Amino acid sequence: MKVQQGWIGFLVVCFLLIPVFGNTAVVGVTDTEVWVGITTPLSGPAALWGATGQGAKAWADYVNDQGGVHGRKIKVILKDDGYNPARAVANLNEMKGKIFVVNALLGTAVVNACKDFFFDNKIPLIDAYGDVRIWAKYPKDKLKYIFVSYPDYEDEARYLANYSMKNMGSKKMAIFYQNDDYGKMGLEGIKMVVSASQGKAQLAAAVPYEVTERALSTHALKLKESGADTVYLYTTMSHAALILKEMAKVGYRPKTMVSFPMGDPVMFKVAGEVWEGVYPAGAGQVGVPGEKVMDRVADILIKYDPSLKGKEYLAVFGAVSMMTLAEGLKNAGKNLTQDSLIKGMEMIKNWKPEGIGAGMTFSPTRHHGVNGSRLLHAEKGTHVPISEYVIHKPLF
Amino acid sequence: MDLIESYKEDLRLIRRFGTGFWIVLLLIGLILLPWFAREYWVYVVTLIFIYSIGIQGQNILIGYTGQISFGQAGFLAIGAFTYGHLSLLGSPILVNLFFSGLMAGIFGILVGFPSLRLKGPYLAIVTLGFGIAVYQVFVNSEILSGGRMGLTIQKLQPLFGLSQMTTYYYFNFILVFLFTLLSYNLISSFVGRAFIAIRDNDIAAEAMGVSLTRYKLLSFAISSFYTGVQGGLYALLMGYLEPNMFTFLETITIFVAVIIGGLASVEGSILGAAFVVMVPQVFSNTKAFIPVIYGVTILIILIFEPLGLSGRWMKIRLYLRMWPFR
Repeated sequence: MKVQQGWIGFLVVCFLLIPVFGNTAVVGVTDTEVWVGITTPLSGPAALWGATGQGAKAWADYVNDQGGVHGRKIKVILKDDGYNPARAVANLNEMKGKIFVVNALLGTAVVNACKDFFFDNKIPLIDAYGDVRIWAKYPKDKLKYIFVSYPDYEDEARYLANYSMKNMGSKKMAIFYQNDDYGKMGLEGIKMVVSASQGKAQLAAAVPYEVTERALSTHALKLKESGADTVYLYTTMSHAALILKEMAKVGYRPKTMVSFPMGDPVMFKVAGEVWEGVYPAGAGQVGVPGEKVMDRVADILIKYDPSLKGKEYLAVFGAVSMMTLAEGLKNAGKNLTQDSLIKGMEMIKNWKPEGIGAGMTFSPTRHHGVNGSRLLHAEKGTHVPISEYVIHKPLF
Repeated sequence: MDLIESYKEDLRLIRRFGTGFWIVLLLIGLILLPWFAREYWVYVVTLIFIYSIGIQGQNILIGYTGQISFGQAGFLAIGAFTYGHLSLLGSPILVNLFFSGLMAGIFGILVGFPSLRLKGPYLAIVTLGFGIAVYQVFVNSEILSGGRMGLTIQKLQPLFGLSQMTTYYYFNFILVFLFTLLSYNLISSFVGRAFIAIRDNDIAAEAMGVSLTRYKLLSFAISSFYTGVQGGLYALLMGYLEPNMFTFLETITIFVAVIIGGLASVEGSILGAAFVVMVPQVFSNTKAFIPVIYGVTILIILIFEPLGLSGRWMKIRLYLRMWPFR
C-alpha cells in the first residue's frame, strides 16, 4: 500500500512539474506552431456572422498547406461566444496560456467587454469587428496591442450622404436605422452632412426599428410620407429586405443607399428583385464577390470549409483578418515574440491582402489600418463598384 | 429529510456534523481555488457566484412564493445601469451595489402590484411586459443607457497584491456567501414561511393571517433586490453596459436556472447558476450545436429529475447516508 502511495505521489509531482520544464519562452509559440484564438458567435442571434471566424480558420489552414509562416503552422482555437460578452471574456480567459494572439473579435458589446484583456495579458488583437470608436477613446498606451481595419459607421454615412448629394442630386434624405449604436452612428453621420449643407439638403425622416421587429409596413409608410428622394438603411440584412419590400408595396422607390454589412450580393437572394438598383457601401478592407481577387480567395475558403458556401463575403472578411495576422507574422521574422509581432504589424504599409481592398497601413502611431468606403451598385445579381475607395481619417 | 423536534432545531442551518464537515471543506476548496485553478476557472466560478445571487432571488419569488415572473432581464438592467451611473459619479462600490438592489427592489414592488390580482400565466405576461418595457426604455433613452457608446464602468482594482481576477473572485465569493446565508435565514424565518404558505394555498394563508398584499410585494421586492445586485456585479465584472446585454434571453437564462436547479431550493439556485454558466462554456467547442445540447440537457434533466439538480443532490445525500443499505 505504501509503495503504491509513493508511486502516486511521484506521478503527481511529475505532473505538476510538467508546466515548469515544458514552458516555452513565449506562450503559444513553438518552432513549428503559433496558436491563434478566435471567439465568435457560432450560435445565437448573430450566428451568421460567425462565418468570419470560420473564414479566418479556413485561411489559416490554407497558409499551413503552403508551409506556414517561417515554418510555423497557424493553429486556430475557434470558440463560440453566442454574441454574449460574458462568454467571450470566458473564452479569452480559457485560451490564455495557450494562445499567442487573438484574431477576428466580433460584436461591439463583446469588443467593449474584452478590450482590457489584450493589454492586461500582453496578447495582441489583430482585427475586431465592432464600433471602432471604442479604440479611438481608449488610452493611447494601451493601444499597443490592438490592430483594427474596420470602417467607422459615422464616416461611412457621411460619405454616402455626401456622395448622393453631390452626384445624385439628393435633397430630401431619410434614414431607416436599427435602434442601437450601429444605426445611431449612421443617423449621426447623415445629420452632420445635412447640417453642413447650409439648407441644400434636409433630413425629412429618421425612422428607427428594433431588431426584434418584423412588421415594417408603418415604417415604410412613414418613409413614404416624408417624401424623401434618398433613403439610407442602417439595418441588418433581413430588415433591409423587409423594409424595401414594404416600400415597394406602397409604391415608394426612392434612391436607396445601404451600409457595408449589406455589401454582400447574397442580398439579391434575401430581398429579391427590390434589391436591383440599390447602392450598397463597400468596406475599405474587403472587396465584393464578383471581383476576381475576392472570388479566388472565396474558392480557396470553400475548399477548406465547404459550409462557407453562400457566405463568401463574410468568410473573406474573416480571411482578410487572418491574412493581416499572417503578414504581421511574416514581418516579425523567425524570432517570434509579442513585441516582434507588433513591430511586424507596424511594418505593414499600403498592403492589399491578396490584392483585396483599399490597402492598409499600420505604424507605431497608427493602429487603425484602413478606414475606407466605396460605392457599389446592385445590378443583375452582382454588386458593381461605381467609385474608387475613399479613405477616411484613421481614428487611432 | 431530517426529523426536526423543535423550532430552534429547525432554525439551525447545519444540523449534522457530516453536513458541517462537507460545507467547511467546500468553503476551504472555494477559498483556495484561485491558488491552484487556472484563471479561466476563477472567472467562470466568479460568473457562477454573480448569477447565483440573482437566481436565489428569483427562486424566492418563483420557487418559494409561487409567483411566475418573466421580468428578470428588466430588474437586471435596472440594477446594472444604476450601478453604472453611480459608478460614473464616483460613489463607492458597495454603496452602488446597495442602490442597484434598492432601485430594482422598488421596481419589483411596482411590478408586484398586479400579482395581487393576477396569477399563473396572466402574471407571467405582465412581468414579461415589464422586462420588454425596461429594455425599450433603455434602448430609447440615451441619458439612461449612455448613448450609442454605452456606459464604460471602472473595474475593480486589484487588492492586497492579488490579480484583478482573483480580487473579483474573492469579492463576489464574500457577497454570494452573505446572500446565501441571508436566503437560508429568510426562508426559515416567519417571512419565508409566509411565502411558502402563499405558494401552497393563498386563500388558506390569508385565512391564517398572512397578509397577501404585504408578503407578495415583499417577495417581489426581495427577489428584485437580489437580481438588481446581480446586475450591479455583472456591470462591475464586464466594465461595460449596453441595453442589448439585457434582452429576453437573459430572462430565459435565469428562469431556466431556477427550474433546472430546483424550485424552492437555495443550493439548487447555486447549482442552476453553475448549469447555465458552465454548459455553454464547456460545450463551446461544439459551435452551432450548443443550443441543441443546452436544450436537450434541460429536457433530460427535467424528464429524469423533475425536482431539478437539487432533487438529484438530495437523493445522492440520502444514498450516501444510508450506504451500504438502501
